[in-house]
Amino acid sequence: MFLVSLLRRTGVLSYPVEGRGLRKVLIVDDSVSMRQMVSFTLRRGGYEVVEAEHGQDALNKLAVATVDLIITDLNMPVMDGITLIQNVRKQPAMRNKPILMLTTEGLGTKKDQGRAAGATGWIVKPFDPEKLLQTLAKVLP
Amino acid sequence: MKIDQGQFLQTFLQESAEHIASMETGLLGLRSTPSDVELLNSIFRSAHSIKGGAGFFGMISLVRLTHSLESLLDRLRSLEMQATDEVIDVLLRSVDVLRDLLDAEPNLALPAAALALEAHIKVLMHNEPDHAAAAPQLPQPVHAPPLEDAREIKLYRIEFRPHLELFSSGTNPIVLLRNLASMGTVSCCHLHTGDLPALVDLDPTQCYLHWTVELASACSEAELREVFEFVEHLADIGIHCGDTSHAAIAAPPPVQAAHPPQALAAPPPSFPPASTQRYTAAKKYATGGDSSSIRVSINKVDRLIDLVGELVIAHVMTAQMVEDFEPSCLPKLREAVAAMERNTRELHERVMAVRMLPVASLFQRYSRAVYDIAQATGKQIRLETSGDETEIDKSMLELLGDPLTHTVRNSADHGIETPDVRRAAGKPEEGVISLKAFHRAGKIVIEVSDDGAGIDTERVRRKAIERGLIGPDAQMSDEQLRNLIFEPGFSTREEISDLSGRGVGMDVVKRNVQQLNGTVTLASEKGRGSTLTIELPLTLAILEGLLVRVGDRTLVLPLLSVIETVPLRNDQIVRVAELGEVVVIRNQSIPLLRLSRFLGLAQGSTNTDRAADLAGNHRLAVIVEAGNRKIGLVVDELLGQQQVVVKSLERNLRKVDGLMGATILGDGCVAPIVDVTSMASMNLFALRAPSNVTQQAVSAAQSARDASATAKSIGGIPRELV
Repeated sequence: MFLVSLLRRTGVLSYPVEGRGLRKVLIVDDSVSMRQMVSFTLRRGGYEVVEAEHGQDALNKLAVATVDLIITDLNMPVMDGITLIQNVRKQPAMRNKPILMLTTEGLGTKKDQGRAAGATGWIVKPFDPEKLLQTLAKVLP
Repeated sequence: MKIDQGQFLQTFLQESAEHIASMETGLLGLRSTPSDVELLNSIFRSAHSIKGGAGFFGMISLVRLTHSLESLLDRLRSLEMQATDEVIDVLLRSVDVLRDLLDAEPNLALPAAALALEAHIKVLMHNEPDHAAAAPQLPQPVHAPPLEDAREIKLYRIEFRPHLELFSSGTNPIVLLRNLASMGTVSCCHLHTGDLPALVDLDPTQCYLHWTVELASACSEAELREVFEFVEHLADIGIHCGDTSHAAIAAPPPVQAAHPPQALAAPPPSFPPASTQRYTAAKKYATGGDSSSIRVSINKVDRLIDLVGELVIAHVMTAQMVEDFEPSCLPKLREAVAAMERNTRELHERVMAVRMLPVASLFQRYSRAVYDIAQATGKQIRLETSGDETEIDKSMLELLGDPLTHTVRNSADHGIETPDVRRAAGKPEEGVISLKAFHRAGKIVIEVSDDGAGIDTERVRRKAIERGLIGPDAQMSDEQLRNLIFEPGFSTREEISDLSGRGVGMDVVKRNVQQLNGTVTLASEKGRGSTLTIELPLTLAILEGLLVRVGDRTLVLPLLSVIETVPLRNDQIVRVAELGEVVVIRNQSIPLLRLSRFLGLAQGSTNTDRAADLAGNHRLAVIVEAGNRKIGLVVDELLGQQQVVVKSLERNLRKVDGLMGATILGDGCVAPIVDVTSMASMNLFALRAPSNVTQQAVSAAQSARDASATAKSIGGIPRELV
């Protein structure tokens, strides 16, 4: 028990607390339609959604709000997904939060770079709405 | 879960159209800088975004084509391949097919054109391993395993041994275990703490624990492994299958129903069968609602909100002052009202700016048109644009598309000569067409110029005589001859070219521009090229107007067309048999048009007319530019200059010749706005008006009266004006 409380205090383990409201997801993609589709799917799935256009925008939004999960595209103007993940992982509050990359197949090296940067998992584009929600369930406490 | 995709489709289509346009521009730019990685990246991103959205809507052919495009672009941007002309040509053709695919209904089968391109792309990347095989598969109906089909329940022992750095990926092992548990029934979960170091050495950011789980599940090993999909490189996973039994263990918990087995490979997207119809419906909606939406940058909207805020504050302040009014407050009140006026004016400007879009989007599409013509005719043509960021009213942008296309094609097709002709003329082989947009004196100017052959006035004359537009012995200046090409049905080319239209000529260009209250002028020098200049008002909805009084009525003249105002003395008016009344100003004779006649006041107020005539110099002539000539409008008084909001007459009443609309003045009166060009063509000059003209004038006046009545009934405006 000591160990668990220690881990919890250091933020390594975070348990879901009943009734703390909707879980918040930050979706980062430069394509409006992609953001809309992901947001819509997530809202239907019972999540709260924050949108950002690119990595820098995401960091700005994270500076004023905390989220439970980040879904990010990799190819973006201003700041790409990999740089975003690296930056997010440096923030104590976000060190252990799940981050999913939006990738396409055939981009193996990108996926590896993302994993090296600290991504938790990935969603393959084009995505199927149900699969997206399943993937979220897979990584969210 | 059902998702109504229709509502996103419009956004997707709009966005994809933009992506396609920017791919096209990018590809054309690539010809001069084939290894511009930034450019390639942005093209790649566009293709990528289209693919992402297309997948969501089940447009499989789009996904497949963009996928092969991506593979090709990926090789280009990693500089493994050269962007040769052939490659760029294939990419450009792919862009065309993409556009077609977006416009068309979604076919499950890849259209022949797309298939051919896919094959071509593969040939181009001949050494490339077969990427298309890895392309997303066609969606197959996903058959959920029938529930009554008793699946074999197996006993698994799963070893989950995370590496120390598991936490660095934000993975929560508890979540993994819980997911695992949802795949079946856990009979035993054992936590191994043997690796835990002494507390002094413990690094809380590392994972020292590992687990053994015994699970009874109907899922296959691959399905169980999928739980650990994201941590394959961060943990050792061992899955051992124990003995199996058909019904030895109780049926799996109901939670399993929520987890239909998934194939390990990326599952093909599944779509409800109804999605095709929904797409069709949404597509119709999308095309119908196309021009009715506008995308505005957040900055513009934010500034508007700021201004409204300021306006509210100013209003509150003013209201307060009115409440506690005493005479000493008057200067302060004036100040507050002035502040409100400033705010309102700025708000007005900003709201207008919301409708403004940069012409870049318009200019963009011509590079392709020019490229195509150059390819088809064997000419070398470069398109230069400047002032791309000049903003222009959205509705104008849409109406300008066709006239500009026509003009640019004309320049490319008829203007620029073939390389050998150019060489012979001592010009560089590459011809240049330039598109310029800029502001000049409160107008937006768009210039299309080329350094081609210019307009052969002799040929124009021959053609015009042939077409019966002018008499065989007509004396005309070069300028007048050039302007003949704006006449309906004029085309100097002997054979009608496929590229620059059939028969519909510059007259359409001129008409469209005039519809926008703009003017077209053409300058040309034989052998040196031509320049077509289109001048447009800044926006259609607002007009800088000159208010004039005619009789007891107020009319608005568009200030843009006013050249000067001169006092009119009777002795200056010359009566010419054919032209009617003419005034001579600086040795130039300008036909006069009495607005009172247009308004149908001629009969009713003949006496006052005559009285004014007798009195001599009560009248004024406003000299306006109508098309290519000047006419003088006779008015009684100038009331002032002000910005007016143009309200459509057509919408509330009907189209009235000579009027472009009406406006509501500050005191609530309705004033008709004169359309100078169309009024000049109404032939109201003749002294003794033919009966039909009188008829027309009377009906115009009647219409104006009706307009006022309509406006009254619409807006509840109590004043009679016209």
